[in-house]
Amino acid sequence: MDANIANIQHFSVGDGDGIRATLFFKGCNLRCPWCHNPETLSAAPVTLNYPAGAQICGRRMTEDAIFAELTEDADFYRESGGGVTFSGGEVLLQAAAAAKLAARLKAAGISLFIDTAGYAPFSAVEALIPFADAWLWDYKTASPQKFRDTVGGDLSLVEENLQKLLSEGASVRIRIPLIPGFNTAEEDVSLICARLKEFGITKVDLLPFHRLGSGKYEALGLAYAYRETPPQTAEEKSRLRKLYENYFTVTMES
Amino acid sequence: MKLYEALREEFTAPRGKFTPAYYRFLGMREHIRAPLPLLRAYGVAGLFSYAGTHIHKNDLIVGCLRGASYVGPQEVLEHANRFLASLGKREFWTNDSHFAPDYAYILTRGLPGLHEDIENSRAVHAADPDRLQTLEGMTVALQGFGRLIANYAAAAEGLFGLDDYDEDRLSFISKNCRALLCAAPSTFAEGLQLVWFCHTAFMLEERGAMALGRMDQYLYPLYAADIAAGRLTDEEAVELLCNTFTKIPTSDVVNICIGGTETDGSTSVNGLSRCILQAVRACNAPGPNLSARISKETPEDFLLACLESIGTGLGYPALMNDEVNIPALLRMGYEKEDVYNYCMVGCIENFLAGQQPAWSDGRFDVPRFIDYVLNGGISTYNNSVGITRTDADSISSMKDFMSLLEAELSVGAAEYCASFNAKNGGIRQDAFPSPFLSCFCRECVERGLDINNGGTKYPSAHGAVLMGVGTTADSLAAIEKVVFTDRAATLSELRDALAANFEGYEDLQKMLLAAPKYGNNDDFADKYAVWFLDFLAGEFDRFRTPDNGRFYIAMAANVQNIYAGRRIGATPDGRKAGEPLSDAASPTYGRDTRGATSTLLSVSKPDYTKVACGTVINQKFSPSMFEGDKLKKLAALVRTYFARGGQEIQMNATSREILLDAMDHPEKYPTLVVRVSGFSEYYVRLAREVQLDILSRTQHE
Ligand code: SF4
Repeated sequence: MDANIANIQHFSVGDGDGIRATLFFKGCNLRCPWCHNPETLSAAPVTLNYPAGAQICGRRMTEDAIFAELTEDADFYRESGGGVTFSGGEVLLQAAAAAKLAARLKAAGISLFIDTAGYAPFSAVEALIPFADAWLWDYKTASPQKFRDTVGGDLSLVEENLQKLLSEGASVRIRIPLIPGFNTAEEDVSLICARLKEFGITKVDLLPFHRLGSGKYEALGLAYAYRETPPQTAEEKSRLRKLYENYFTVTMES
Repeated sequence: MKLYEALREEFTAPRGKFTPAYYRFLGMREHIRAPLPLLRAYGVAGLFSYAGTHIHKNDLIVGCLRGASYVGPQEVLEHANRFLASLGKREFWTNDSHFAPDYAYILTRGLPGLHEDIENSRAVHAADPDRLQTLEGMTVALQGFGRLIANYAAAAEGLFGLDDYDEDRLSFISKNCRALLCAAPSTFAEGLQLVWFCHTAFMLEERGAMALGRMDQYLYPLYAADIAAGRLTDEEAVELLCNTFTKIPTSDVVNICIGGTETDGSTSVNGLSRCILQAVRACNAPGPNLSARISKETPEDFLLACLESIGTGLGYPALMNDEVNIPALLRMGYEKEDVYNYCMVGCIENFLAGQQPAWSDGRFDVPRFIDYVLNGGISTYNNSVGITRTDADSISSMKDFMSLLEAELSVGAAEYCASFNAKNGGIRQDAFPSPFLSCFCRECVERGLDINNGGTKYPSAHGAVLMGVGTTADSLAAIEKVVFTDRAATLSELRDALAANFEGYEDLQKMLLAAPKYGNNDDFADKYAVWFLDFLAGEFDRFRTPDNGRFYIAMAANVQNIYAGRRIGATPDGRKAGEPLSDAASPTYGRDTRGATSTLLSVSKPDYTKVACGTVINQKFSPSMFEGDKLKKLAALVRTYFARGGQEIQMNATSREILLDAMDHPEKYPTLVVRVSGFSEYYVRLAREVQLDILSRTQHE
């Protein structure tokens, strides 16, 4: 089955255990204003006009071609305890194609992580459960209203999926992007922590904000709401870390 | 301030002009009627005996060139220089520098033992006047070396009671020197002092790139005995090593090899390997060129410690794959025990310490031969000619193109070897003996033969350093794709485009640039790198050096790729005239765009067991790759690359300076990538303020 792919990134070292290749599916049904991969949002190809030349992002790839490219680095996965990560965009929007690939990776003995915002019918999640070794689950806010107004979705669907996934016994790693002005006030954090506790979560990954995607917005001719927002200071990061540490074991990307 | 830091300040203070000819001349004048080979030995003895000593206030291990500056009337110096010049000397091409002594031999025998070995050999060769004279030369040189040590002992003793000199250190120095005059070293400090005296003597002789070799092996027995007896701690060992390494001039390339493999396959890594790594890291200077021999059995903590050292910005050690180098050297016919004991001289050249004459190599640039094939054998950018007489358009297939290229390269390699052999073999070996160097080869002493006159166990080896594998592979892939597959241009159009440096042929240049490139795990281009190495290894292996040694090939032209590139016209890979060739064995800079795993998959395709000399692959990583969890991923990257047959890798952390430079010169850094979770982007595409975000991050790191 073909899939719409934004990019395959070899030698990924920031998305899970070991050396991985990240398969970026193209298309997302949420619109986080801080998103650092704006070129992956539309399902259709887009053109990025960089000063040094234009580049097209998005291509239809056959399952065989994707599988072949992902298995090139198999020796590196094996030695490092790594594997493949499905990311995006939103992988769950192409769950059928993803599940077919996932089955083949599993058969080849390659570890698979799924990096998702979790906003899709549960059937999409379910299709991948048998093949995923871990889920990197994006949790942005515990406020249904904020989720609706800022991100553009129904939080209850994300939470239901999370609940079901956990009850299936899946290995789930909660990843929280630290977005200034959105989820970093003390009350936002308390709400998130309380909610995650209800789900029985004990560990979280914190992803500090960065605006490295601003060049992509410019190349796409889009405005970027976070263009002028500097990354968090060391003090701010440690404040947030401490808040989360009241509830969870915390790891934070440096 | 640490002792070695204070020493560095003393060491780098300005000093007088180094005048070795003067001291040689003094030694020769005393025996001016001696036959020439012996006269040279007296010169060496004079050099060692009369060159002044200098002890730094912060020295623990002594030996440097600071005292060797003549300050009397200039006429004397000029006379000495003229006389020495009239005698001639060996050059790099005639096996003079780039050597690793057999320190294991010297340390076990010591100065008295060595004299004894030479005496015994004189008795054996009593009927052979030539050998007797050679052995006498060795004795003379070695006696001079003894005086060098005695001079340092006396100098230390003479400094007692002087301001600023620490008496404990002075008596430590004098005790070590005196001990070395009477017996083989019995402590680690004495052993290190003897090694450093030898190295100092080589520097006095003006030999460059003399390697210290496998220090962690030959000094290990002394180190282990001291540690076991409680006479030495690791901290003290590191202090002594730092004190030594600080005295390596920054302009020199002194290779030190740690780690490795025993003949039974187990690892050679020991406590001293770790001390040396720590000392080189602490000194943080470019002089000691550290290499680590890595195998499957290398302990993980040692590999991680190597990577941490690299990540400090030092870039050392270079990592060498034993599982390729050992088979490569075995292929050259050396005995197993010797091969497993290999080290490196210069930057990366494999070497059997004390078992072959000093190293030599030269550059062989390959892209030039493509130019011959395209232009009927006449170079378009320098006055050279090949053998092709075919018009470009009558070459009708890639296969034909490759046969013409192979014919060119075959003649080119033969020309190279003939020219080297004429130079190297053109001197009378017996007229230019190296009596002191010969003492460091057990067989030279036993046989009574000079190092360059059949004394060493194995004959000389010469390295042909092949330049531009990336440029060549990319060029051939571009020709195959654009000319013979897509038929988008003819060979004569390509030829004209290159002659015009692509002016007026911009579209063709674009197509050539878009063709598959080496370093992206694409066989279309990678197969030409495999061919490059196979074919040229075979060609050079057809020739022998004047003493019947091998021509090795090397894939290691750093820096020279920039100079060679300046002289070479446009190439079919889309490279414009004057731009650098691809460096060493690496893909062309900026064209391996798929990430480190793909680069290393490509680079490990050729069969490096045919590269006996050595290979250099340069890879840059962001500083965060050398931290915490990611360091282990880097170790896995190296192990996988080595398991697939990679020969060498040297890594660098992208420094703050590079990030700053890339802000102003984005064209120089097309592949500098920034990675964070779920995201990667080329650094040069980021807005200035975002680049500053990254800079402020690396400041913390
Ligand atoms: S869910 Fe992820 S990909 Fe989709 S908009 Fe948000 S940050 Fe971007």
